[in-house]
Amino acid sequence: MAGVELLSDQGYRLDGRKATELRKVQARMGVFAQADGSAYIEQGNTKALAVVYGPHEVRMSRSKTLHDRAVINCQYSMATFSTAERKRRPHGDRKSTEMSLHLKQTFEAAVLTNLYPRSQIDIYVKILQSDGGNYSACVNAATLAVIDAGIPMRDYVCACTAGFVDETPLADLCHAEESGGGTSLALALLPRGGHIALLQMDARLHQDHLETLMEAAMTACKGVSKVLDQVVRQHLQEVSALTGE
Amino acid sequence: MIKTEKVLHLKSSRGRKVRVVREHYLRELVPCYSSLCQAESEGKVLSADVTHYVVPDAGVTRDFMEILEFREIQGLVFTQTACQAVQHSRGRRQYNRLRSLLKDPRHDCVLFANEFQEYSYCPREKGEPQDKWQTRCVYQAAVWYHDHLAGLKPVVMITEDQGAVAEYSSLNCGVYVLSTLEYLRTFWPELQAAHELYGSIAQALRERGNEGTEREFAEHLPAEVLEAGIKSGRYTQGTLNVNKHRAQHEAFVRFDGSSNKNSELDSDVLVWGGKNRNRAVHGDMVAVELLPKGEWRGRTTALTEGQGEEKGEESQGQPMPTGRVVGILQRNWRDYVVTFPPREETQSQGRNSLRILATPWDQRIPKIRISTHQADTLQDHRVIVRLDSWDSTSLYPNGHSVRVLGRAGELETEVQTILIENCIHIAPFSEAQLREMPASSPERPWTVDPAEVVTRRDLRDTHLVFSIDPRGCEDVDDTLSVRSLPPGPQGPRLELGVHIADVTHFVKEGTLTDLEARARATTYYLADRRYDMLPAVLSADVCSLLGGVDRYAMSVMWDLDAQTLQVNRVWYGRTLIRSSYQLYYEQAQALLNGEEAEVPELDHKLSHLIEALETLTQVARHLRAQRDQGGALELEGVEVRAQLDEDKNITALVPRQPLEVHETVAECMIYANHWVARKIQERFPQQALLRHHPPPRQEFFTQLQDSARALGFTIDTRSNKALADSLDQAVDPQDPLVNRLLRVMATQAMSNALYFSTGACPVDQYYHYGLALDRYTHFTSPIRRYADVIVHRLLTAAIAVEEGARPAKASASNKELEEMAQHINNKNRAAQHAQKVSMELFQCLYFRDKDPETAECCDAVIYAIRTNGVLVFIPQYGLKGALYLRNREGQVVRVSQDGRCVWEAGSLQRSLDHVSTTTASGTSTFRLFQHVTVRVSVQTSRCHADTLHLELVSNRAHRAPEPPDRTPRAAPPQGTRGRSQLVQEVVRQAEEALLQAEEKKGRVSELSKEEREFRQSKTPNLYSLLEEVREQALLDLTASARTCATSA
Repeated sequence: MAGVELLSDQGYRLDGRKATELRKVQARMGVFAQADGSAYIEQGNTKALAVVYGPHEVRMSRSKTLHDRAVINCQYSMATFSTAERKRRPHGDRKSTEMSLHLKQTFEAAVLTNLYPRSQIDIYVKILQSDGGNYSACVNAATLAVIDAGIPMRDYVCACTAGFVDETPLADLCHAEESGGGTSLALALLPRGGHIALLQMDARLHQDHLETLMEAAMTACKGVSKVLDQVVRQHLQEVSALTGE
Repeated sequence: MIKTEKVLHLKSSRGRKVRVVREHYLRELVPCYSSLCQAESEGKVLSADVTHYVVPDAGVTRDFMEILEFREIQGLVFTQTACQAVQHSRGRRQYNRLRSLLKDPRHDCVLFANEFQEYSYCPREKGEPQDKWQTRCVYQAAVWYHDHLAGLKPVVMITEDQGAVAEYSSLNCGVYVLSTLEYLRTFWPELQAAHELYGSIAQALRERGNEGTEREFAEHLPAEVLEAGIKSGRYTQGTLNVNKHRAQHEAFVRFDGSSNKNSELDSDVLVWGGKNRNRAVHGDMVAVELLPKGEWRGRTTALTEGQGEEKGEESQGQPMPTGRVVGILQRNWRDYVVTFPPREETQSQGRNSLRILATPWDQRIPKIRISTHQADTLQDHRVIVRLDSWDSTSLYPNGHSVRVLGRAGELETEVQTILIENCIHIAPFSEAQLREMPASSPERPWTVDPAEVVTRRDLRDTHLVFSIDPRGCEDVDDTLSVRSLPPGPQGPRLELGVHIADVTHFVKEGTLTDLEARARATTYYLADRRYDMLPAVLSADVCSLLGGVDRYAMSVMWDLDAQTLQVNRVWYGRTLIRSSYQLYYEQAQALLNGEEAEVPELDHKLSHLIEALETLTQVARHLRAQRDQGGALELEGVEVRAQLDEDKNITALVPRQPLEVHETVAECMIYANHWVARKIQERFPQQALLRHHPPPRQEFFTQLQDSARALGFTIDTRSNKALADSLDQAVDPQDPLVNRLLRVMATQAMSNALYFSTGACPVDQYYHYGLALDRYTHFTSPIRRYADVIVHRLLTAAIAVEEGARPAKASASNKELEEMAQHINNKNRAAQHAQKVSMELFQCLYFRDKDPETAECCDAVIYAIRTNGVLVFIPQYGLKGALYLRNREGQVVRVSQDGRCVWEAGSLQRSLDHVSTTTASGTSTFRLFQHVTVRVSVQTSRCHADTLHLELVSNRAHRAPEPPDRTPRAAPPQGTRGRSQLVQEVVRQAEEALLQAEEKKGRVSELSKEEREFRQSKTPNLYSLLEEVREQALLDLTASARTCATSA
């Protein structure tokens, strides 16, 4: 796709955003009553649903039990209708296993697991519509769901992607930009302390540029965290109004 | 920001239709880049002092961009919609052209991102055709623009869609919708060129629709297939070069280094015939497929006169890889000059008399089909044409005319043709550029700024500065100084200084003047005129280091040991100088010789001056000797030196001969260039602009070695030192021309010196072969070369860094610099080629006016042997040409007893050092370096440049009845002299003709007066021009290679 110009001379991206602007983020918490915690998020056209169960006692094989902290079990899946071409997506394919693993690592770093020894927390995430930045949408949705479930965390985990085009870092890539062949870096951040929970990049990038790219991704994550914080506060207000406190 | 969604239907990689949903964000604040707008916007803005703004729609932008490129059309607003349409339908080349147009500050145009503006965006409705939607978008944008500027400026939208004109024109007041033609008529009635261009493009568009269906060529393969094929090695990628003499049949594909996977192919690939060439045009980047070995052919080695296709198979060389073009990766079309055929030919071209096949000036380009109404008026005119397309159903490419140059054969037309064909576009300097210039007039000359004086080293009182230039030179860019310093610990010391005009002080990076100079890259010297790189106020006044006035300079000063000339210290920096003496070469040489010269006595400085000149000569001799040790090559002016050695008497030479003082000055400049190169390379190891001259490939020397062997000399080409020594020895005391010709051949074997960025080349390739220096650059002529301007900036930055100051701006990166170096190299090549062609033009004009019967016979020397003739060199006019010994009827030349030549049936035998013709009545032999007498006549050609035709008169040296100094033996190298006289004569005749024509008209028309002003130097100073060329030849070998090619 050499012909597509990802960043115009005037500084606009394909969808009309500037380099540092995020896509529109909308989120709701507590979408399902049955689960312990749940959340729905839209980041542009990427839509994700996250559900959290637990903490409860370990239901998998007993040997997995950890005596000092809780086990986090993550499962990632994509709906068959999430992409432009309908595709059957069997469970346990390589991509989703890898994504599950990334999510698990991310939340092990964020959730205060040592408060719940010998127990298990399940996080299920489903991508309903995919338009780039699947990982970050999942992380953000799961964060809201975990908060909804009332499980203590060190901080919000906010994730965002960043790419690099014509010497300029671009925040929050959409699908067209991701498939354009450039670099894409996914970063999950604990914004208050500035700790990085996960950093992942597959493409090649000159090491001089890594610093600026990470900087851009972290700024974007902080932007996401502001939105999430607002969503949580609003949800709390609604809930407390309902319960009459 | 508001988020909306766009639904697109795209094709997936497998060819299925896919529904894609894309986000689309709108915002209120989209900069309009108008200077009327209150909001701040950075970058380029539209000026407020135009009568209206123009918004072209997608169709107009796509098809008529050439019209929008006129600098006269101001206040252009391109919409994003239109730009994307160009990108999609016309490909990257056209889109990049649009982008560079938008970036160029000389054009008053901006891009408005209308699709991201909340109020100007209109989503595409269901079932709405794309072009309708685009037009609607553009109209909406135009309306928004008008409202945004609160109706301060009327906005004109131009479209080709008549429906749109009818639909929208009355909707809003202040927003006018016009067709392109109406727009041009209403607003630019006087811009004739635009009208003509519009007509020809519109005509070409109309004609494109109705093409025949018969297939003439194989279809090109799609891009993916080509790419895969090149990767797998099945196809080879390269640039197509058409053989000038057999443009119909022979073309070669030259690989561009890296892409060549096919390692067994080390030579070029031959593409034989029009079908195999498959619509590729000279210069295109193509993919070729090799044919089976059985179909390989050799290249033709016989001399042809352009029409010699009947030569047949016998004259072919070794079979070489042969292939056919399967696809074109990148078209490389430029503007071509064509000649319209005379009337009788147009009518014979079938039923559609509107279509005309015009023949390009460049023989390598196929005929171009043009649709026009003006066929009658344009007969025998030269016209600039652009190619549009070449379908597989058509034998010839389609094009449209852009601009009429004038009647073929007129001097002005021909000179313009040369410029266009070499891609040299020179518009007069614009108002805005001239406004940047410092003010200087005869009444109020420019003076130095006191603030600037403090920051510069003041040499006005301490140093005796002088310049030596050709007589009447206006742009003095170098001056010299030399003085003795108090003795140091090692003994007496000298201070040598080279002071160069400080152009970068006046031409700041990024200004309009700088951009223009960068685009021109060099001053262009044609045979009768020149086009300056910088405006005259700089080049001839403020920058020029004239005598007796204060000027800014960049100086290099060496602290030398007076005896050994070892360098103790070098100082670089900006200075303030006042040149005491502005000498010319002959004057300086006369002073050196202790003769009377008309040099005014100034404050008793004259004795100092003479002393300084003497010291300078000493130093230069020493430097020259040093370089000779290293193996520097002497390629021109050698006989002069030999004569100097013999009698040491300079006055005995023709006055316009190169003098020793020429070399002295040149040597100082080479020294300065060398030391500046060292300095900037040290300071910026990755991004300094240097100049290197790669060592030549040994196989190119074969002809030189063979020719020398024929005379009993051996030429050792293993190193530049060996070559220089063996060339020095190869002197025939009987014939001084032999050595000169050998040197010319050596020069031809070499490649050109090139600019490069140090980061792009390994250190061992920095070497300058011809000058025998490990580092070299151009520093001493910033007024006429842009490379020197860059080097000046680098040097300034280097000095600033050393003084601890941070450079104000990051200097250009290696990549940018390398691109710049390529650009300058290309422009230099174009300039040299244009110069050469214009010289040939003048030769032809000169001989055309001679009577063919009484045409002068002149002496010629054979310097190469071909299958059906020989190549000769005519020293009197400094020209080279082919001499045929066999004509098209198969007859050969026989020389009778008294030296007369007759054509008779016979055969031709070629061997290494001679060629002989055998006929019934005897055999005659022509040896290498034999003197013969030839007659020069002009072969006129309607479509191409005229060529000179040589005819053998006698096989003996020509004995002219004129004074003895014109005979070949005693003749000094008259190349330059003969040429300069020739040019003068032709110019005079042309101007006389012009005057006569004007008198006939009875009045002097405004236009022709303007035209003559446009030519900048109306009475060209030929002497200075030729000296300039000569000096360049000494300074670097590129030039010398070229000048030799023309002079020898």
